[in-house]
Amino acid sequence: MALELLRDTAIPKTAAVYPLQWRSRVYAIVGLVSLLGVVIAATLAIGSTHIPLATLGNILLAKLPFIGVESTWASSMETIIFDIRLPRLLLAGLVGASLAVAGATYQGLFRNPLADPYLIGVAQGAALGAVTGFLLPASWQAASIPLLAFAGALLAVAVVYSIARVGKTLPMTTLILAGVALGAFLAAITSYLMIASGDKLHGIISWLLGTFSLTSWWQVTMVIPYISLGIVVIWLHARPLNVMQLDEEQAQQLGINVERVKLILLGAATLITAAAVCFCGIIGFVGIIIPHAVRLIWGPDHRFLLPLSTLAGASFLILADTVARTMLAPTEIPVGVITAFLGAPFFLYLLRQKKRAIF
Amino acid sequence: MFNLRLDEVSLGYGKRTVLHNISLEARPGEMLGIIGPNGSGKSTLIRGITRLISPSSGQIFLDGQNIASMSHSDLARLVAVVPQNPVLPGLFTAFEVVLMGRTPHLGFLKYEGKRDLAIVQRAMEATQTAAFAERRIGELSGGERQRLTIARALAQEPKIILLDEPTAHLDINYQIETLDIARQLCLEQKLIVVATLHDLNLAAQYCDRLVMLCDGKIHCHGVPAAVINTQTVKEVYGAEVYVYPHPINGLPATLIASRKDTSKPNARAM
Amino acid sequence: MNQYSRNCLLVLLSVALLLCLSCASPPPAGNVVDDLDRTINIDEIPQRIISLAPSNTEILFALGLGDRVVGVTEYCNFPEAAIAKPKVGGFSTVDIEKVVSLEPDLVLATQIHSKTAIPALEKLGITALALAPGSLDEVMNNITLVGKITGQDKQASQLVNSLGTRIEAIASRTQNLAPDQRPRVLYLTWHDPLITAGTETLVDDIISKAGGQNIAYDISGHKAIALETVIHRDPQLIIASIGMGTGEDLPWQYVKNEPRLKNTEALLNDRVYKIDGDLAHRAGPRIVDALEQMAQFIHPELFEEIN
Repeated sequence: MALELLRDTAIPKTAAVYPLQWRSRVYAIVGLVSLLGVVIAATLAIGSTHIPLATLGNILLAKLPFIGVESTWASSMETIIFDIRLPRLLLAGLVGASLAVAGATYQGLFRNPLADPYLIGVAQGAALGAVTGFLLPASWQAASIPLLAFAGALLAVAVVYSIARVGKTLPMTTLILAGVALGAFLAAITSYLMIASGDKLHGIISWLLGTFSLTSWWQVTMVIPYISLGIVVIWLHARPLNVMQLDEEQAQQLGINVERVKLILLGAATLITAAAVCFCGIIGFVGIIIPHAVRLIWGPDHRFLLPLSTLAGASFLILADTVARTMLAPTEIPVGVITAFLGAPFFLYLLRQKKRAIF
Repeated sequence: MFNLRLDEVSLGYGKRTVLHNISLEARPGEMLGIIGPNGSGKSTLIRGITRLISPSSGQIFLDGQNIASMSHSDLARLVAVVPQNPVLPGLFTAFEVVLMGRTPHLGFLKYEGKRDLAIVQRAMEATQTAAFAERRIGELSGGERQRLTIARALAQEPKIILLDEPTAHLDINYQIETLDIARQLCLEQKLIVVATLHDLNLAAQYCDRLVMLCDGKIHCHGVPAAVINTQTVKEVYGAEVYVYPHPINGLPATLIASRKDTSKPNARAM
Repeated sequence: MNQYSRNCLLVLLSVALLLCLSCASPPPAGNVVDDLDRTINIDEIPQRIISLAPSNTEILFALGLGDRVVGVTEYCNFPEAAIAKPKVGGFSTVDIEKVVSLEPDLVLATQIHSKTAIPALEKLGITALALAPGSLDEVMNNITLVGKITGQDKQASQLVNSLGTRIEAIASRTQNLAPDQRPRVLYLTWHDPLITAGTETLVDDIISKAGGQNIAYDISGHKAIALETVIHRDPQLIIASIGMGTGEDLPWQYVKNEPRLKNTEALLNDRVYKIDGDLAHRAGPRIVDALEQMAQFIHPELFEEIN
């Protein structure tokens, strides 16, 4: 009833611009989905082993029902495409999506442009878990490393959370400080264990730098439930996250249950980050530059920022991993090296292009 | 009739009680001013009414319903706040920030419809902010931001608007403009407007009723002429002022004089 | 015993001692060139030697210099007597203070110490010599060099001769094999990621002397190899090293359990072997043991009798 002036329901001029902006962002989503498709198709064709495009096409066609393609290729080609490249680029995509969307979430929650998915102890917890896994008896390692990394990540954040909690509220500054302090403590233990690890150091360092080297389907199927659940939950909280870009008091006065939203978003972002790092290690930079790049190009509205970051993060990490596995083929480089190497100049370029405030 | 009622409310932080046993009532179309010196508990009262803090005793009722039993969004559909020093995200456009006022009316998954956009547009026109709707917050002045938060409060379609020191950082023309808008809304839309003010002249000119707080208690309340006089101001603020009827409308006008100057005979002789 | 006979005995003993000393101690080696192309002057026969690598330790003990070794690394586990020696650090980490306190007159280092421990030791006036062989021949040269420096020329040439005979016994049968008679070999030192030994490694030299061809022919040094490259190049046998010191065979287990490798010839024919990394990676005398084992893995039909 309140606004009696509102007799004319036609949308006035200013408000009419808004759906247009909206439309351009929807186009951006469609564009990035297509980009992701192209990236997946293209990187499937690239690798240290040369597979002619025609062969690749035939191998793919043969997988489709009702199409008879005579098999003229070595069975190793099929293994390479379906059991090496495909799971590997899918995991890279899932991890890239997770890190980017978790980064965007943390930046939004903390209203801090420097926040990344590892800010409150996920990485240090995962690293300590993984290194502990490396030190366990040999036969347990394959399962224990990812499991301990995952558990370590969640446990570290749970400890940080319980330290930072004051009564029913969770002050974000305390959370960051507790995260940084606990992270340093865990990192110290990890460093000590690494020094004491002897000849396992090589494996540990590879893990810490991040690699998709041996990705197979079981890893993809293990992380898909956590990552998709977490990402969907985060997407659904895009509007509360927008409102929380005001301060917490204003957000609550606008009807947001701030403490609940914080808890849900922290939980979801931590879950997907933990799932992302547990198999492939600590891949840096994706979580911080992808959300910023998206924000610079398409604005700060989380209803677009979150899905666009998800898509852009997936494409970016697939590309970075493709470079990692082909640049010095047949040898491989840790993908974390590539993300910083490719990502930093691109991000600096964006910063120079848009000289206004970025957050 | 819809009303806001505080019943023996005590509010504080942790063990420290800031407001003691406050009872008051406000009705639609009425502009209620809360005055009192720094630290007397004006902002605490606003925080209590929006449930940012819970009363240690007493209850707050909106239309007879205890706010402690309401959900965050139910409360936000009734009460909107124009905060004193709002943090606004610099990259969002003015329009997007006002649109956030629609939050309590939108379901979890519902996007803004035509009606929401139109309400926002009207709110921006009413507060003269439509002209810079597409500009980013980071590019706006303090006065423009203050008016945006009023627009956002309007977009909430509330029954009560709480203004926390709405004029604190504004030039005198913006102070008048802001309170003019608030008063106009109060009358036209039959809203309850509660404003904390430290400027006694603005309080006297714009508010129908005033509550003067002192040390967490209500010192006196009533129409401006009954609340603001030389004696109460001295008692509550500890300041020597001179309250006269305003030459145009007869409302109490507070004049100040420098303490130093009054002691110098030649300065007075001028 | 009278005075005369006592004097006679003293003279005799002195002469015997002098003779003994002169025959046991040839003149010092003088200027020698180590594997980092540094010229080092050895003006006295070293009596207190520290080894900074297990391979160096094994060479020293094989030359009968165990008594002169006053310090080794934590990884020096062969021969048994080496384990009891004072420890001066890990593989790349050297406790310089500990080294100095042992008052060595020679430190046998490796390439990895070239930028750190060697300059630090030389500043303190300690003679350091680096051994960094890249092939079996160079290992033999290193044994000769160490013999020359320590005055154990004879023991060195005996050792090199006997090792050379064993190497020749294998090389003579493999050197004329045609490329298609040389099975494709993947050598793994780690599985996650897959780390292999490419060219310019001892393992590569061993594989080719043992009559195989290394599938990591375009990788140099110890680096990661892409799984798809492994599958594409389809190794006929895979040899995985047992971890240094730990005795764990993780890479071997990985290879046996990796479903994507099951169609490689190596898995189809069940030709996945393990070899003690202490043999295959140490540039000491036991490298020839590794060669013999590899030769049996790669060409069992040629080398049945060697054991």
